Amino acid sequence: MPAGLATYILRRLLLLPVILLIVSFVTFALGRYAPVDYVEIQAGPRAQPETIERIREERGLNDPVPVQYVRYMGNVLTGDLGVSTRYQGFPVEDVIFPRMWISLQYNAVVLVLTFAIGLPMGTWAAMRRGTWQDPLSIGVLLVFASAPVLISIPLLQWLFAVKLGVLPSGGWSEAEYLGVELGLFSKHAVLPILALTLPGVAGIARYMRGQVLEVLDQDFVRTANAKGLQAGVVVTRHVARNALLPIVTILGFELAALIGGSIFIETLLGIPGIGLLAFESIKSRDYDTITAIVLVGSTIFVLTMLLIDIAYGFIDPRIRVEGSIS
Amino acid sequence: METRRLVLTLTSIFVVLIVLLGGLTVILVAGGGGDDTGDTAGDGNGGGDPSGDANDLGDRIEGELRLFGPDPITLDPACASDAGSAEYIVEIFSGLVSFDLDLKVIPDIAEDWEVSDDGTVYTFNLRGNVLFHDSSRPVSAADFKFSMERALNPATQSTVGEVYLDDLVGAAEFADGDADEVSGIKVIDPRTLELTIAEPSAVFVEKLTYPTAYVVDEREVGDSTCFEGNWTLTPNGTGPFKMEEWDLGRKIVLAANPRFHLTPAPSLARVTYILSGGSSFVMYENDEVDVTGIGINNIETVRDPNGDLNADLREGPSLDVFYIGFNAREAPFDDADLRNALSLSIDREFLAREFLLDLVEPAKGILPPGMDGYNEGLADIPFDPEAARGLLEQAGGAGLLDGATILTSGQGATPSDILQAVIAMWEQELGIAVTIEQEDFGLFLRDIDDGNFEMFSLGWIADYPDPQNFLDIKLHSESLNNESGYTNPAVDALLDQADGEVDEAARLALYQQAEELIVDDMPWAPLYHGKASYLVKPYVDGFVIPPFVIPNLRYVTINR
Repeated sequence: MPAGLATYILRRLLLLPVILLIVSFVTFALGRYAPVDYVEIQAGPRAQPETIERIREERGLNDPVPVQYVRYMGNVLTGDLGVSTRYQGFPVEDVIFPRMWISLQYNAVVLVLTFAIGLPMGTWAAMRRGTWQDPLSIGVLLVFASAPVLISIPLLQWLFAVKLGVLPSGGWSEAEYLGVELGLFSKHAVLPILALTLPGVAGIARYMRGQVLEVLDQDFVRTANAKGLQAGVVVTRHVARNALLPIVTILGFELAALIGGSIFIETLLGIPGIGLLAFESIKSRDYDTITAIVLVGSTIFVLTMLLIDIAYGFIDPRIRVEGSIS
Repeated sequence: METRRLVLTLTSIFVVLIVLLGGLTVILVAGGGGDDTGDTAGDGNGGGDPSGDANDLGDRIEGELRLFGPDPITLDPACASDAGSAEYIVEIFSGLVSFDLDLKVIPDIAEDWEVSDDGTVYTFNLRGNVLFHDSSRPVSAADFKFSMERALNPATQSTVGEVYLDDLVGAAEFADGDADEVSGIKVIDPRTLELTIAEPSAVFVEKLTYPTAYVVDEREVGDSTCFEGNWTLTPNGTGPFKMEEWDLGRKIVLAANPRFHLTPAPSLARVTYILSGGSSFVMYENDEVDVTGIGINNIETVRDPNGDLNADLREGPSLDVFYIGFNAREAPFDDADLRNALSLSIDREFLAREFLLDLVEPAKGILPPGMDGYNEGLADIPFDPEAARGLLEQAGGAGLLDGATILTSGQGATPSDILQAVIAMWEQELGIAVTIEQEDFGLFLRDIDDGNFEMFSLGWIADYPDPQNFLDIKLHSESLNNESGYTNPAVDALLDQADGEVDEAARLALYQQAEELIVDDMPWAPLYHGKASYLVKPYVDGFVIPPFVIPNLRYVTINR
């Protein structure tokens, strides 16, 4: 590894705590300064104001927000992420990690499927430019890409659960495989994977098609064709590889989204993943859970982006770090 | 660019990613590991079957009832303030008394009780055969003292202790930290508990049916606060069902308590609640659950006499009222004529029959049908635009309502159809334009509590089936829950008198008189009362959705 790169990585890693500090403070403060806290919400209309005030006092909600923040971060540094109030009394890690695991499972499959199908499909469409196959395939993909999950999920539910009766309409079930709780092999996983993969494939394929078309116009492709290489070899060796470069960025974003479950998907299909939890936590002002979700999410995002930056350096020597970092 | 370099790099990215994902997996699985040990402990208690994790389609267990349930906030009886949590607590835990399906108070852990002549001292004789789920020991009077004091103890941080146990002598002092015990809770002997209340109350025993007064096992709970809930994963209760598995946010599995002390004892082998899974109606059609509620979108399909689902339809009352509240503290809504004008221009019959497709009953007063004290003879609130316009003129004209707003709870989506329909009626009949203002639920509650509104729309569901729970709690001028700020000394006097009245018929008559005065003043425009409409699979017998939370599962049997 070149010395310049090592310094670059180190500097980026040193920035991580700073980023997390800012992110955590903003999240924390947004929650605390927003009107109404969890004590008030949970107490409901019948509780006495004095009781609510007393509990607030005991739980430190009346302290100045910076004081509360320092106390919270002190706990986080010792590994204590706090206590959930939506699932009243359960430690935050017991609440969020099982949920992240669920979102990760279906997202990982979606990611692999999206790229495994989308890349060849986009390349194929580009190679068929000028024939009817290109506009047809892209047109169909465009429909999938533009149908929001709010529409596609009820349709899929109707088709597979009600009409055909082959899939459960929602929910999530897990069974143990080699000591690991997995939900991927249950029928419950099919609908979310389908609902996310369809627009995902469409997006990647369309992007890939654009990239391939651009590369096809390059001189080296003409040269390759001119020197009599077989069409298949030209595509795999020269076109696809060059078109892949910008795809790495997309891959990065998709990776970072792995544990960030979709609120829509999870609400409509009743999948108890991290997206649904985040939504409920916000509604019930579950401060510690919201902050923990954001903290874990941003850590993974920052690390993935770093990975992608490094990868770029390797793939394309023209993109060199030179100390000029955005 | 060298292609070899590209391939190499992409490969190494994937290797790194797999390692990262693997590491994350290990962390997440290890995180879930804590739960697994908890489950094992739970199985040790309940002797659950080893293949407990198979809940896929077709994997049915004899005598299992499958329900779609609300995701509870807490299963700690001392802390639960919402119906969604109470639904589970009433099956797992129990108290001195409970309700049967006829909404009558029945003895539960108490065998019977006596009330002193002045109506303030209740002596409960406990059954000798009530065991905690782990069969370790019988429930004693001291367990009740511990449990009730725990709910009131400020260290527990419960918001409901004082709401439901405030009648007890010494409760306030103890809750404020000024006393070491609640003097109104006395253990006479292990099977005799004496509760003393400050003033005679017709609803005190009914309040004891609420989870706050339920018994918990001191050896398990210790000094846990409402914010230390791990023990509720394996709750050692006394109710008809015991916890077999609680997977947070996903499912709750209950198993019958074979030693339950009341008849009928539970006949279901187990009850599985699915806590997440999208639409319960679709799940019912898909045979994933045995019961589902029915909403406005599905009711016509179900009512079709030739449809598959028609035979499964059940209907029952629901003890609630949905209304539009007016801010009676401030002009222009402090004028009863103006409030009545608004109310008279609402076509309740149309709303209930045409708009909500008979899923509700139009309201003519505050109290819902099916509740003791419901006044059959109360006149309907007519739809009379003519009279409404006259009253509005008398009050000062439509100009008073320029720019009026109605506050409702919502996330910013389209507000409820019913509210829009009401506003359209006002516009058409009175020529006024009212704006809907939506607020997040928490903020909404705070604003109506603070009187920070002109009008609001809300519902009220019974905590216990007594007029006191509606009229006294919501419309007495001194009640904390009188959001409208309604004040009528004559109403207050009647409500106070009813509170102390021991003769049941006289007491209900007083409430009816108060209700009539209230309807005349119209601090709320009551719109409708809900009905429970739901589907039950033909092989499920004895299942009813009760009009409010009561333990109902021990009456259910499965016959296939």
